[in-house]
Amino acid sequence: MTEALLDLNNVTVRRGMKTVLSNLDLQVSSGQVILFNGTNGEGKSTIIETAAGLIPLESGSVLHHGKLLIDEAGRSNKPSRPFGLTLQADGCMGSQRIEEHLLTSMDFTGSRIEMDSILERYNLKHRKHDTIAQLSGGQRRKVAMIAGLLPGFISSDPLLIFLDEPDSGLDQASRTSLIEDVQYLRQKGHGILIASHNNEFEQCATHQFNAEGMTEIPRESTPEIVRDHAPHQPSKAMIALRNGIVYNNRTMATLAFNGIAGLLTLGILLALVEPTKLDSGTIQRSGLILSSAFAAGLVGDSMVQMLHEHRSLAWWKAHRQGIPSSYLHGAVLGFALTLLTQLAMDMPVSWEVTIIGSFLTISTMFIVRMLDLTSSRLARPRAAFTRILTPILILPFALLVQWITDSNLI
Amino acid sequence: MSKRGAEGFLLLGFLGIGLTLGLALLKAPSVSINAFQSPDAQRIFYWHVPAAWAAFIAFGFLFVGSAMWFFKRSKLGWRMHVAGAEAGLATGLMTVWSGMVWGAAEWGVPWDWTDVRLNTFGLLTFLALFLVLGRQSQPDGVETRDTFSTFGLYGFVLVPVTYVATRLWQIRHPGPVVGGGDGGSLAGEMAVILVIGAISFTIFIIGHILMSMRITSLEQRLERIQKTMDKV
Repeated sequence: MTEALLDLNNVTVRRGMKTVLSNLDLQVSSGQVILFNGTNGEGKSTIIETAAGLIPLESGSVLHHGKLLIDEAGRSNKPSRPFGLTLQADGCMGSQRIEEHLLTSMDFTGSRIEMDSILERYNLKHRKHDTIAQLSGGQRRKVAMIAGLLPGFISSDPLLIFLDEPDSGLDQASRTSLIEDVQYLRQKGHGILIASHNNEFEQCATHQFNAEGMTEIPRESTPEIVRDHAPHQPSKAMIALRNGIVYNNRTMATLAFNGIAGLLTLGILLALVEPTKLDSGTIQRSGLILSSAFAAGLVGDSMVQMLHEHRSLAWWKAHRQGIPSSYLHGAVLGFALTLLTQLAMDMPVSWEVTIIGSFLTISTMFIVRMLDLTSSRLARPRAAFTRILTPILILPFALLVQWITDSNLI
Repeated sequence: MSKRGAEGFLLLGFLGIGLTLGLALLKAPSVSINAFQSPDAQRIFYWHVPAAWAAFIAFGFLFVGSAMWFFKRSKLGWRMHVAGAEAGLATGLMTVWSGMVWGAAEWGVPWDWTDVRLNTFGLLTFLALFLVLGRQSQPDGVETRDTFSTFGLYGFVLVPVTYVATRLWQIRHPGPVVGGGDGGSLAGEMAVILVIGAISFTIFIIGHILMSMRITSLEQRLERIQKTMDKV
């Protein structure tokens, strides 16, 4: 017997106050396509997200390729092999270009293939360089769906592919292409889970799963689909860091949010305080120099806010290969703000303090980001008031200022 | 315990707190003008310390409730978490506010951002505020309970840090008056009034927690009834 690609053992999952899955056992082997076609609220999306390791378990465990992914004790491991994932809410943010999202999906597998032929099949090739925000809802859905399929196109080893309502909003031609692609991926030996109400998927599914349980779909042998083997290219490393830099460069989000907060703080301080009247070596002077860098960090990581769009954060979290951040831009901003403060106050520049300002911004940003990520599982994460907890950062800031003053760095 | 037990505790607690205030203002001995910048303001101590004591009880309750929900999925644990957060917010604000008034009179500043005791206790109060406001802004569910219980568990780390802060990094705030060694002991009338205050605030906090748990239980019952009616 072949090893199961996916193993859901005695899985119980609660969402809200409802137990959505109760002691569910499900195994998916190579070459199986399981279609979840139950009624609304039956838990189709919950099964997909549980299988992708996105939802904590009340009981049981989820294994990918025989290795533990998550379990009831809260253990969570990086998947032993990459997988394809299409979330119901797309999982891609508006500031990304189409090709960037698809390249990221490929980079998770460790290699890339030429994507033009796939985009052409879904009439998206001419949109390749557009940002996702410029697309219609249906086109965005196609991008999300292709991102879920791509790991399967690349890998010759059997992988898992999770598709939650992949056909939602797609035209007939795209649905036909999708069914053909799923058949092709099945023939390659991948294990595929599809949640959909569309009965057309019975053409490519091997099993269907609903409240009555799992039943095999009888089928005659289908002709083998032959595709040209596109040459593989190596993927690029540091996926999350690289994407964070790209999105930040495009949106200038760190400058717009953190930078403005820092500049406003500097402006207010300059309006209220006469710098020449502050004695050197006083705590007030040290505090003034670092205030704008600290205020910039307190805004948090703008990337986390952006990633809430279309549940992009969940898509990144599921792959467990890092989450894009703004640390590099934060470090540059902290350095620039501390330097600017010293110049604006007509003080001799202390490079040590300028570098400390840079670290202050990213360390503050890191803590606020952690608070934001901790509350990201809530139904309304943006209404969680995590900023109420940021005053704790004033204590280390005050101790740092005291240390700088005592050390005569200024 | 009868359903009116919470009201009884609250009433008794309020009476005791009123008595403590009266004794603090009228009966407590005056302190030396050599030891304090503002001797009259020192009477705030009889409110401030018992309120902090009650706050630590509430935060302990919050921690136990958070752990019970997080590890055992106990409904009682969640009610304890909610009650602990609400009681911690109430008594935390009493402590912080009275401390700021006293600090303004004694130190010349209401707050010192470099004092570890002030800031860790302030954060505990902010944590309680975060938990109370956050819970009200989210639909009830396992995700909400898990997230806020996590904050409750991590937040409790601050309780021992707050207690030992004045021993390790004493800047402005004086050392503990209970278990604080030779320098922190009280005697005579001062100790009696302080004990009355501590007992009164303890009774008050028990009443507050019982009341809060009953309200949460009623909220949950109402939600169950509404969901049953939704299906009709």
